[in-house]
Amino acid sequence: MSHLLPLVVALPVLGAAIPFVFGRRFPTSSRRVTALVLLGQVGLAGAIVATVATAGAQAYVVGGLPATVGIGLLADELSSLFVLFIAVAAATLYVTVRTDASGPTDALWLLFVAGVTGIAVTADVFNLYVFLEIAGLAAYALVATRRGPRAALAALHYLLVGTVGATFYLLGVGYLYVATGTLRMADLGPELANVGYGSPLVLTAFALIALGLSVKIALFPLHAWKPDAYAAAETDVAALLATLGSTVPGYALVRLTFDVFTVDFLDAVAIVQGALVTAGLVSVVVGGYLTIRQSNVRRLLSYSSVLQFGLVVVGIGLATPAAVTAALILVLANGVAKGGLFVAAGLYEREFGAYTVSEYAGLARERPVLAGAVTVGFTSLVGLPPTVGFAGKWYLAVAAMEVGDWVVAAVVLLSTLLSLAYAARIVERLYLSSAPSDGPVAADGGMDTHRSRRAVAVTVLAAVATIALGLGSTALAEWFAPVVEGWV
Amino acid sequence: MTDTSSFLPVLSVLLPTVAIPFIYATREKPNIRETVTLLAAIGTLAAVWSMTRLPVPPVTSLGSIAGIAFELRVDAAGLLFALLASALWLVTSVYSVGYVRTVGESGQTRYFAAFAASIAATMGVAFAANLFTLIVFYELLTLATYPLVVHSGTAEARAAGRTYVAYTLGGGVVALGGIVLVSVLAGTVTFTAGGIAGLATADPTLARAAFALLVVGFGVKTALMPLHGWLPAAMVAPTPVSGLLHAVAVVKSGVFALGRTVLYVFGPETTWDLGVGLPLAVAAAATMVLAGVVGLRQDNLKRGLAYSTVSQLSYIALGIALATPLAVFGALLHVVAHAFMKITLFFAAGVIYAETGQKYVSEMGGIGRRLPVTMTAFAVAAAGLVGFPLVAGFVSKFTLIVGAADGPSPVFVAAYLVAGLLKLLYFWPIIYVAFAGERDSDGPESRHAFAPPHATDGGHARETGWTRRSLRTEATPFLLAPVLVTVGGAVALGIAPTVFPVWELAETVVVEVFR
Repeated sequence: MSHLLPLVVALPVLGAAIPFVFGRRFPTSSRRVTALVLLGQVGLAGAIVATVATAGAQAYVVGGLPATVGIGLLADELSSLFVLFIAVAAATLYVTVRTDASGPTDALWLLFVAGVTGIAVTADVFNLYVFLEIAGLAAYALVATRRGPRAALAALHYLLVGTVGATFYLLGVGYLYVATGTLRMADLGPELANVGYGSPLVLTAFALIALGLSVKIALFPLHAWKPDAYAAAETDVAALLATLGSTVPGYALVRLTFDVFTVDFLDAVAIVQGALVTAGLVSVVVGGYLTIRQSNVRRLLSYSSVLQFGLVVVGIGLATPAAVTAALILVLANGVAKGGLFVAAGLYEREFGAYTVSEYAGLARERPVLAGAVTVGFTSLVGLPPTVGFAGKWYLAVAAMEVGDWVVAAVVLLSTLLSLAYAARIVERLYLSSAPSDGPVAADGGMDTHRSRRAVAVTVLAAVATIALGLGSTALAEWFAPVVEGWV
Repeated sequence: MTDTSSFLPVLSVLLPTVAIPFIYATREKPNIRETVTLLAAIGTLAAVWSMTRLPVPPVTSLGSIAGIAFELRVDAAGLLFALLASALWLVTSVYSVGYVRTVGESGQTRYFAAFAASIAATMGVAFAANLFTLIVFYELLTLATYPLVVHSGTAEARAAGRTYVAYTLGGGVVALGGIVLVSVLAGTVTFTAGGIAGLATADPTLARAAFALLVVGFGVKTALMPLHGWLPAAMVAPTPVSGLLHAVAVVKSGVFALGRTVLYVFGPETTWDLGVGLPLAVAAAATMVLAGVVGLRQDNLKRGLAYSTVSQLSYIALGIALATPLAVFGALLHVVAHAFMKITLFFAAGVIYAETGQKYVSEMGGIGRRLPVTMTAFAVAAAGLVGFPLVAGFVSKFTLIVGAADGPSPVFVAAYLVAGLLKLLYFWPIIYVAFAGERDSDGPESRHAFAPPHATDGGHARETGWTRRSLRTEATPFLLAPVLVTVGGAVALGIAPTVFPVWELAETVVVEVFR
């Protein structure tokens, strides 16, 4: 059964060759193959989750080499669920809203999926770097596939900042190797304890790794690439990146902090914990403030991620079971909600030519179902019950109060109001301003109704998922519990 | 039997929810759409009513969110509130049909759908088994009522909607902080008659902080001053919304949550042991009197009624805060009594607006001739709020005052009496103007006694007098019948309060809380 693990990474990598080679000559067939690969990925991921559910965590070393030198993969409750999330999101977005099917870019789509899947299942900090770069390069290229100088500039910005982030991460891995002589996550934990948590090597390694991943999750003040890239990319690419681009590095930050450095490191070095919590709080407050100031909807949604990932980092910094659970739930909550909202933003752009909040005026009347789903998505970002965003905030507030950190508790609760300030603005516009009397405006020569219907379906799916995950948040927390309790 | 009866509380939440898609599906045929609303209202009332008759298992679990049980539980306090809200929903539905058609409101489908959603959330608040479940439905109630506040879509309505959401969700966040703190301190948030044991032994400073957070949070919907600003602003909503939601469902959810906090989370003893009962009582007494004074100056009828609601809610909040058995009993009775009287007043204000377009007291000189039944009902309900015998308000206020006499200070008795006097000063000029005034006359009998005259648009043709209408032609029966039903209810509650199930339910609450 554990052979599924290498396959889930290999399938999209190998599959990427098909649209790359045949995409130009047989566009339709290669599109079908790409879709099949992505659906196969969903099947593999589902099988992995089922295996973990019945038989527990699965480890695998490629080529049967000794674990210390081979390429190690690990599927536990946590990574398997993220693999499934990646597969479902990538496949759903591909079959519903993918617009550009010109061969090579489909290959990029698959490579991105391979990269983020690799990040989720790898058991080796160096391989994690490799997968980070695969996903990153594919993402930069995907942003650049849109014609025009704006996308090119945004992609360049994204490339430069993203590469710097990945390089920081690689440097951190180098320090780890110098300190311990191993790159296996499972060995690094005890080895680092032997080296001593006070060692400058270990501290620097953590600082570099956290900094590198903070770029990827776009924590303030390392966030500037995100609004540019997500606003300039094609709508389907933006939706894919918004769903997975920062979600998986967020997972990686949790995994590395607690699996490699362990909670003992955080306990021993109080300044690290304080720095994480402070960085998170700053990101929440400033991110919220910046979000409120946006008028372009896609930029607004990107800035809202700065706030959301601030909460995630706060959860990591608090390092209690409830806090880590909160961090994981919030990562997923943001991914699901943003995916649906970016698809909706894309649809509003193409169908009504609406890019800014004020251009959304009265559009609920044109597309009531879409507006309803958008409202649910924002409800989750704000963190109102019964959505999954609420569950995440609840766990985080409980965690903060359990350790008696009242400032954190207050900021977490008040972040609800910050989010409300921007969410209410959009929802109010959608529903209340009088609609333009001349009906829908076709921005680029009309809209294929099938595609528009599918886009609405994705948004509704995301909305249903936020509520279902909210109602099932206890089950979700229990599913994570074996891993989380093993850590803290 | 167990299976069906354990489904009843769920059914009371589900029926209005399920009605929403049907309301949308039948939007092309208003008659069928309104039938759906009425059927859902009858069904909900029947479900709640049957729960007062049948032995219902105490807890119905709906799963769990974020590790906390999401449960509904049927107890006396919840039944009292649910019965009140579902009964008045039925009446208001009939009234709404008459109102939106007479006024010609736009967006009627959204109106009825949001109304049903609000009731579903209210049922959830009533039957919530713990603070967590309560806050979930409490927030949903805010979301469901928002479209009703901004219904007209004007700039004024949108501004009011923003105020409304900022106040109520802000309060929700503060209350959520209190709930998290209670959960951390006591390890549970499940309602326990007489208080959760773990809180009595918890760190008193933190317990006080939790109480303060909960009271401030729930105080927003209870409209405790200075957290009341949203309520007069929300009066831009259509009148049935003001009547059912902003005099019954929303504000009573606030006061109900406050009651749950004092009686079922902290318990009367712990509340006073911690020394947090007195500040709450003082705030409620101050609100009662201040809102009475501010209300005097309102020429806009609905705004005046809103301030009266602010004041009346604090009657209930004060009764809860004093936490003597009689005061609590009176507070519970007043929840019901105030609901029937205030909804009558709002219905009357709605009939005035729908039939004549008037919103200001100073333009209602002699309107009693045009709307004899409506204004008589108004006068009866107003008398009840002032505290005249034989109307519901007398019974509950009498109990409250006797209960307050057992309290820590006679000042609270005096506060009830002063507030009653202010009510008289507020309502008397309105009734006097309506029956003794003349239309468009500037004589003292036609002006509001205390309020400064509002700015008029000027230049409209002067009309002379109201046409006298017979009892049968003053308004459509859809508008008139609900007014008669609610005022009849208020009088019946005043004459024979013990025959209604609310009396027994309130007794049960007092017995279980003060065991």
